[in-house]
Amino acid sequence: MDILCILSSLLILYLIFKIWKHIDSKRDQNCYILDYQCHKPSDDRMLSTQISGEIIRRNKHLRLNEFKFLLKAIVSSGIGEQTYAPCIYFEGREESPTIQDALSEMEEFYIDTIEKLLKRNKLKPKDIDVLVVNVSMLNSTPSLSARIINHYKMREDVKVFNLTAMGCSASVISVDIVKNIFKTYKNKLALVVTSESLSPNWYSGNNRSMILANCLFRSGGCAVLLTNKRCLSPRAMFKLKCLVRTHHGAREDSFNACVQKEDELGRVGIHLDKTLPKAATRAFVDNLKVITPKILPVTVLFRFMLSLLLKKLRRSPSKGSTSNVAQAAPKAGINFKTGIDHFCIHTGGKAVIDAIGYSLDLTEYDLEPARMTLHRFGNTSASSLWYVLGYMEAKKRLKRGDRVFMISFGAGFKCNSCVWEVVRDLSVGECLGNVWNHCIDQYPPKSLLNPFLEKYGWIREEEDADTFKFRT
Amino acid sequence: MSQATMPDFSSSVKLKYVKLGYQYLVNHFLSLLLIPIMAIIAVELLRMGPEDILNVWNSLHFDIVQVLCSSFLVIFISTVYFMSKPRTVYLVDYSCYKPPVTCRVPFATFMEHSRLILKDSPKSVEFQMRILERSGLGEETCLPPAIHYIPPTPTMDEARSEAQMVIFTAMDDLFKKTGLLPKDIDILIVNCSLFSPTPSLSAMVINKYKLRSNIKSFNLSGMGCSAGLISVDLARDLLQVHPNSNAVIVSTEIITPNYYKGNERAMLLPNCLFRMGSAAILMSNRRSDRWRAKYKLCHLVRTHRGADDKSFYCVYEQEDREGKIGINLSKDLMAIAGEALKANITTIGPLVLPASEQLLFLLSLIGRKIFNLKWKPYIPDFKLAFEHFCIHAGGRAVIDELQKNLQLSGEHVEASRMTLHRFGNTSSSSLWYELCYIESKGRMRRGDRVWQIAFGSGFKCNSAVWKYNRTIKTPNDGPWSDCIDRYPVFIPEVVKL
Repeated sequence: MDILCILSSLLILYLIFKIWKHIDSKRDQNCYILDYQCHKPSDDRMLSTQISGEIIRRNKHLRLNEFKFLLKAIVSSGIGEQTYAPCIYFEGREESPTIQDALSEMEEFYIDTIEKLLKRNKLKPKDIDVLVVNVSMLNSTPSLSARIINHYKMREDVKVFNLTAMGCSASVISVDIVKNIFKTYKNKLALVVTSESLSPNWYSGNNRSMILANCLFRSGGCAVLLTNKRCLSPRAMFKLKCLVRTHHGAREDSFNACVQKEDELGRVGIHLDKTLPKAATRAFVDNLKVITPKILPVTVLFRFMLSLLLKKLRRSPSKGSTSNVAQAAPKAGINFKTGIDHFCIHTGGKAVIDAIGYSLDLTEYDLEPARMTLHRFGNTSASSLWYVLGYMEAKKRLKRGDRVFMISFGAGFKCNSCVWEVVRDLSVGECLGNVWNHCIDQYPPKSLLNPFLEKYGWIREEEDADTFKFRT
Repeated sequence: MSQATMPDFSSSVKLKYVKLGYQYLVNHFLSLLLIPIMAIIAVELLRMGPEDILNVWNSLHFDIVQVLCSSFLVIFISTVYFMSKPRTVYLVDYSCYKPPVTCRVPFATFMEHSRLILKDSPKSVEFQMRILERSGLGEETCLPPAIHYIPPTPTMDEARSEAQMVIFTAMDDLFKKTGLLPKDIDILIVNCSLFSPTPSLSAMVINKYKLRSNIKSFNLSGMGCSAGLISVDLARDLLQVHPNSNAVIVSTEIITPNYYKGNERAMLLPNCLFRMGSAAILMSNRRSDRWRAKYKLCHLVRTHRGADDKSFYCVYEQEDREGKIGINLSKDLMAIAGEALKANITTIGPLVLPASEQLLFLLSLIGRKIFNLKWKPYIPDFKLAFEHFCIHAGGRAVIDELQKNLQLSGEHVEASRMTLHRFGNTSSSSLWYELCYIESKGRMRRGDRVWQIAFGSGFKCNSAVWKYNRTIKTPNDGPWSDCIDRYPVFIPEVVKL
């Protein structure tokens, strides 16, 4: 009988051990940001008003009406004097890019950022287990991910994914892939490389909806190190709380809001439709509907439901919906500050930031990081979220336990968002390698206006398209 | 990779039986061990007699508490065991695109086309003819409509319409076969290496079929002909995390924007080999799909040789002297493919090979490294691990090389050769055409294991192991339905044009 007792106690002990291991393994499924590094191109690539004017003047296909349109767009864009453009813009070759131009633009970016990132964290390329690269407008053979593997001589069994054409929200999609991989594989280190390729995508025609893309996008990129290793979690900066993706491709108007196509003369460009803001709003509202219950405290949600119910009961049926104003985003009617401390908004343009600010009822303080990023770095597409995060970090706003809400939009039409929790106090000490380090004290500046209006405002007075001459 | 032989007695016929006996012994070691144990227990029981057995039984003091505890324990253990197992991922069904007859490109059409386009460089035309003669392609491969024009009209609109044609047809077929409703798709992965418009092809599929707004969609590109298996890998990882879900994978290659218009020889090669095709695959981890699923995914191994410069540059997109963009295939492609395969086999071997082969490999390794005996490296016999092989139909040379390296018979590589003949190199979807061939020939039996091997630019070698889940009657639809009886055909070394 003693044998039986011993055997059964051994069995019970083994069972308890197995259960403990099972629960313990759940701890290793968290997705942490270890570090991130944004790219700051060299100063000779800064696009000032002067050079922008030069580039516009060079374009033989533009006429007076297009200039007026461009002037209006650029003046109200919120983009400043220090954003960066690819080298070929400065060499005058934007209309005839080669494959090598596109590749060197990307090489300059990833060699700089990944080098700094790995060195700062004392890691080697061979330590990387997962690599996800998303560059929307570049599709090369071998892929950009293969180039990175070749340059850094990464391991043979690295899990690599190369995402393209997913728009400005691809950063969050890459994090989604990494999050899912971390749930199945333990002790992994992932590198997400996100950027946008501008060199091969200059539109050389005069279709208005397509020349806008030429003016809005700027060079930039970011490399992010993520991990679920327990030993690295004390050094981590952020922990992923939740991630929600919304895809409105099923709707015709959302799908056609941002399309890459040929114009009447066969030149390829990105068509930005007038319905884009509406599509963005719809996708944003749907996304909020899913993510809000996950991030706000229960009491706030309960109060919101009650107020909604009361409104419905009080409102007479003939009045109709009160939520949608024609152009502006609907007000959410719920206080997001109760669950979120900082807002990382994709710097798609001044209109995007204003619309989100209105709909979520945010103050200028909340919108400041996004506005300043738009001013200093422009719309760097998928990597813009990380520049906004960098601004918050440089301004010492991020304290332990704070929650950061990232919102991004992409062609298709997608709205992807995620919430990060700050796990280490980032408001003390210096932030090494932050791209804002050199200029954070100058922000926020007194005025966000660019000198475009004073330099080229005279175009508005011009009436005669035939005798018009562009003066720089 | 060199010939596999054990030293000295390899020529002996008797060795075959020794080897068989040895394999049987090692593979069924544990079960063979049980026999003496069971014999001993049986002898003991007989010796004890019925009264002693009853005494032992009664002395176990079964009271209600003990019974309850032990049954609770058993249930608990089995629950924990089942919960911690990784979810099995099934391939429910798949469908391959069959191009319309109007898109066919027989040799005569291809050569005439080539002569008209490259009228200024007869040497390049001659080169293309020689490639086509030895390519292993047949007369029924297809190119998209835009390429049939003289000169070809590779506009973005045409590329999009080719994408719509190949992808939507394959997906409609998949919906019909599986009874899947578009709004039930949870994960969508589209891989197309050389064409990547904004919005992505995955967004295009979502738009056409009005898929749900909380779908997880991914668009992979630039990953070469092995991207199909990369998508399967991603689907498997996602299905591990999301319970009760399904995933649709669309593998294709859009030829329209990538037709090389110059006359540089190494870059004309893809024009001769790549053809139109696509495949749509439904994968699931739902319990209810277990009964109707065709295959179970056993293993998937990815190997990336990008760290080696020679491998990296062997498939490279670049501009030629006149600035025309094309894909340059280096002459070392075969050797590099062989090396990549070797690296992949090193990882997948221990997962799939029976214990007997692994032991032999280990012994030969020990002999060579530790005792420095002059043995040739032993190549495990993969025919023991798999019943069927699907080798990416990248070109005749790739199939020949792999047949030699893995010591496969003609029948093993028949699916690959016939797919190359009938459909050409359809890039990432070729593996699915080959699988369809094997099924259409009625060769799949329940429990059969299939090994799919694909290569891609970078240089990658990815392989997947599937197990056939159920026996169904030979499918009479699909891309092979009208011509399966003509196959296999004999493909001569050189077809005189």
